[in-house]
Amino acid sequence: MISDIFFYMDSSPPLLAERGPLAGKTIAIQSNLSVHGWPTNAGSIALERFVALEDASIIERVKKAGAVIKGSTYMSELGLGLAGDTGASALTENWVDMVMMTDTMGEPRVSASTMGVYGFKPSYGIVSRYGLIGLIPSMEGIGILAKSPEEIASLMETIVGRDDRDFSMPECEMPNFSQVHTPRDTMATLGVVPECVKTLETDESEAFNEALSTIKKAHFKIREVHIADFDLFRTVHNVIGAVEASSSSGKYDGVRYGHRTASAKNWNEMYIKSRAESFGLLIKTYLFQGAYYQFENYNAFVNACRIRRRLKEEVNELYKNVDALVFPARRQNMNASKASTIGEVYDAFALTLLANVAGQPSVVIPKFIINGKTDLGLQLVGPWLNDAQLLSIAAGLAHYIEGVK
Amino acid sequence: MTYKGRSNCGELSLSDVGREVDLSGWVDALRDHGDVLFIHLRDRSGILQVVFSPGHTPPEICERAASLRNEFCISVTGRVAKRLMGTENPLIKTGEIEVLAVALSMISKSEPLPFPISEKAMVSGTGTKVGDLASEDLRLQYRYLDLRRPAMQDHLIKRHRINKCVRDFLDEQGFIEVETPMLTKSTPEGARDYLVPSRVHPKHFYALPQSPQLFKQLLMVSGFERYFQIVRCFRDEDLRPNRQPEFTQLDLEASFIDEEFIYELIEELVVQMFQIGGVTLPRPFPRMTYQEAIDTTGLDRPDLRFDLRFADATDIFKNTTYGIFKQILQRGGCIKGINVKGQSEKLSKNVLQNEYAKEIVPSFGGKGMTWMRVIGDQLESNIVQFFSKEEQLGVIERFQAENGDVLLMIADASYEVVTSVLGQLRLHLADRLNLIPLGEYRPLWVTHFPLFEPTEQGITSSHHPFTSPDQINFDPKNRKALLELRSRSYDLVVNGEELGGGSIRINDRRLQQKIFQALGISDREVEEKFGFFLRAFDYGPPPHGGIALGMDRVISMILGTSSIREVIAFPKNRSAYCPLTQAPSAVAREQLAELGLLDLGGTQSLPGTEEQSDPIGTLSWVSRIGIDDGERPFIAAALKEAVRLAGLVNEKAENEEPLFLPVNVINRTRKGSFAQTSPLAGNGELFKNAPLLKGNYFKVPSILE
Repeated sequence: MISDIFFYMDSSPPLLAERGPLAGKTIAIQSNLSVHGWPTNAGSIALERFVALEDASIIERVKKAGAVIKGSTYMSELGLGLAGDTGASALTENWVDMVMMTDTMGEPRVSASTMGVYGFKPSYGIVSRYGLIGLIPSMEGIGILAKSPEEIASLMETIVGRDDRDFSMPECEMPNFSQVHTPRDTMATLGVVPECVKTLETDESEAFNEALSTIKKAHFKIREVHIADFDLFRTVHNVIGAVEASSSSGKYDGVRYGHRTASAKNWNEMYIKSRAESFGLLIKTYLFQGAYYQFENYNAFVNACRIRRRLKEEVNELYKNVDALVFPARRQNMNASKASTIGEVYDAFALTLLANVAGQPSVVIPKFIINGKTDLGLQLVGPWLNDAQLLSIAAGLAHYIEGVK
Repeated sequence: MTYKGRSNCGELSLSDVGREVDLSGWVDALRDHGDVLFIHLRDRSGILQVVFSPGHTPPEICERAASLRNEFCISVTGRVAKRLMGTENPLIKTGEIEVLAVALSMISKSEPLPFPISEKAMVSGTGTKVGDLASEDLRLQYRYLDLRRPAMQDHLIKRHRINKCVRDFLDEQGFIEVETPMLTKSTPEGARDYLVPSRVHPKHFYALPQSPQLFKQLLMVSGFERYFQIVRCFRDEDLRPNRQPEFTQLDLEASFIDEEFIYELIEELVVQMFQIGGVTLPRPFPRMTYQEAIDTTGLDRPDLRFDLRFADATDIFKNTTYGIFKQILQRGGCIKGINVKGQSEKLSKNVLQNEYAKEIVPSFGGKGMTWMRVIGDQLESNIVQFFSKEEQLGVIERFQAENGDVLLMIADASYEVVTSVLGQLRLHLADRLNLIPLGEYRPLWVTHFPLFEPTEQGITSSHHPFTSPDQINFDPKNRKALLELRSRSYDLVVNGEELGGGSIRINDRRLQQKIFQALGISDREVEEKFGFFLRAFDYGPPPHGGIALGMDRVISMILGTSSIREVIAFPKNRSAYCPLTQAPSAVAREQLAELGLLDLGGTQSLPGTEEQSDPIGTLSWVSRIGIDDGERPFIAAALKEAVRLAGLVNEKAENEEPLFLPVNVINRTRKGSFAQTSPLAGNGELFKNAPLLKGNYFKVPSILE
């Protein structure tokens, strides 16, 4: 049912663009990306009845490139995890050609592996987030779901680039996505992290090893590299994420927009009651964790940021010897859409957090790691700004696997 | 240095020209003219200009003077000279003279100031400086600097003068000042007590006095006949902008007196007090009963600086056919109104109908408002056609309406609604139409307050249970009759503000017994609460009565300050917090343990006791997110996990520089060089998503109740 997938559908007749690089393409977004006049609640009561007042910068760009934004899909509350998310279904049921989905912990990538499509998270800071209602500013960015790496690249080509309205973007040379379509001359070397493989069940790691031999058959090199503190990505993301979520959710005060409690005697009571009613249990527990670090153990937040630097540098060191790292995208028995506590959510995304913590690009290729009937998703993570190279490797692997099947 | 021959800056004048003087004080302001340095030297007495110039000042002194900054504390020696013609400064009292410095000693330096202290410009014609620009909390945090300002010094000096005037006057009248205890037992004033735990009697508490009521009455039993005290009182009440948790009362009580004695005494005293601020109050003060005050102004503290008294029009409409009035009168209601003389130009039809009838009156709690403009000798309004000729003439006569007047009427089934709405309307109109003359003071005695007030269950004392009723023959079981009883009480009101109140007290035990009966307080309860007090009345109590004036309020009114905090040296701020000392504050666990308070709350948590505190409650408060009992266990589990993760990161972190963003972002500002209003604000779009608006503002509940 289309109404089960779309939170809002644009009822105005689409302006069919004949020209432009995305002419004829249809896109679904989540209800946390602003389109002028659209209800935009980011999956939360905190933003009930909120209507976006202007277009997000990337919405302007894709419209200009000729694409049609069909509607917004249901999403988890404020984009944390995949509970209730219908973005991938819009793609697999052929309502749209591509989906833009916020990647806070790896949502589009885990979703891609579950639904048998391609999922991509660009380098941090190369796609404008102006108009995106986010939760964890230092971890999240716009991600993409599509049916091929080439389609991802074509959308990236449109949305990549500096935006004066987004103050969190660095001044750097932006990746050039027009080259993704050309197969690379030299075959890449992919790094395997045994500290990660160690965390898998036996059947999962067997499936992963099988995928590695397929990769070798496709003439890629595999090399073992080490990240001693691999388990800390999850810890660091949890501590920093909770603090940033608590901080960025301070704006939901029920005054300027969003939910306001029916009755309150005074200012404080209005604030406390409105926010009590605004947030679901999962987000609430996360915000309380954040408040704990902010108000009672700030040092833990600072220390998590110290470890974050160490982890990022450790990973960057590996790229001297490999072109990208390779992991499964998810664990077999951890269902991201059913996770009901913060701990379970982090279990479900344990393998995708690295790219968010380090701000690096990551792509998930379906149909590569099959454990029995479950697709675990082949995940590549590459150096910052090497998005195009990473997508090229993905394209190479995709062509190989499509060819084999 | 001995400071023995020190002269005061503000006391020197032209007659001192030629004298060599020693001065000490603070640098109020400086003006550097290269070689010549002028400073304003300030001590408590005033400001005086001191000149350091190579012409008369030794070079090493000039050099030292060059390092002077605002608020350095210094001593200067120099010769008084007449200023050159045209360089006088009329802004200061000593503006015709200056001191030519020959010696300077730097007593102590000052850090840069958090806000300017100087109030006097050094050059005439540049105007007086405004010293009140700093936020009040900043002023209170550095109160000792704020109090250096001449304006603040003047407030406290005047306060001292007023206190002294009170003491001198009452002394002359045979009153003696007796100090009553601060650590005492809860008194029946009705507000919450501040409690002080006793260490030697664990788990027992003193209360800080809300007033010395019981003690002053006991002093009358003791035979002092005339007592007074300028005394600090404490009430733990809800926050109000112009309220302090501790405040000063002039408390007095006298024996063998009646109301007239109090009126005479207090009028004379208050006149003298206001005189210190240069205000002459007319005597005798008019008097008004509570009933008349409510009937004609809707308030028990009427502001008499303007008229706008109510007239009653109920009888005029007793046979009316106008549906709304008819219904209201059938339900026993009443109709009252105000004649706003000669304001029909400012109160147009549109203002009356769309602003007053539709917005303002409903916000005062009224259901509607009837308005009529008088044009010629006719009434004009949207409903006047429903009134008979007789009714119209009756209205014109009752309100003495003339051409250009505006009549506003409120009709309601409830007398309280009519008087309350009309009372608020009266103040609103006076303010809006600028009917309140500046610099005028209109004192008033309001008398004969109701003895009791109704509560949901029964009745309660309007003042306190020791207030004498105006008659002694009443049935303590007849609620209706009790509510009609008046008391021998009186309030002093000036310009609509209650400055004090008191009463003649009960000195007959049997009458007191009857009052407690009427209040439904059992003998046992009476014994527990007031036993010690009532026992004294078994031993020949004299007839007595008294009054208490809120000194902070009185002084603030005399000096015309914007708040009572301006006349208190070290006040609490609007949140009952002291930014200077940061009181109130948490206390050490050991202190609570010593007082035996750690387990006082049983299973409930106590403030400051970390082991028994509720971390979820604290986080819920600081992050302003309410939770229900069902969510609590999940939050507890998440917090347990958060504590575990904190332990992990604290153990694993090394000395790396923290990384807050995965990329390097250079701070940058928005394009353009000046602040702009967002177009979305300009066109009102920003308001579209607001849950509640009032006009062009987001509507929110008030911060204070």
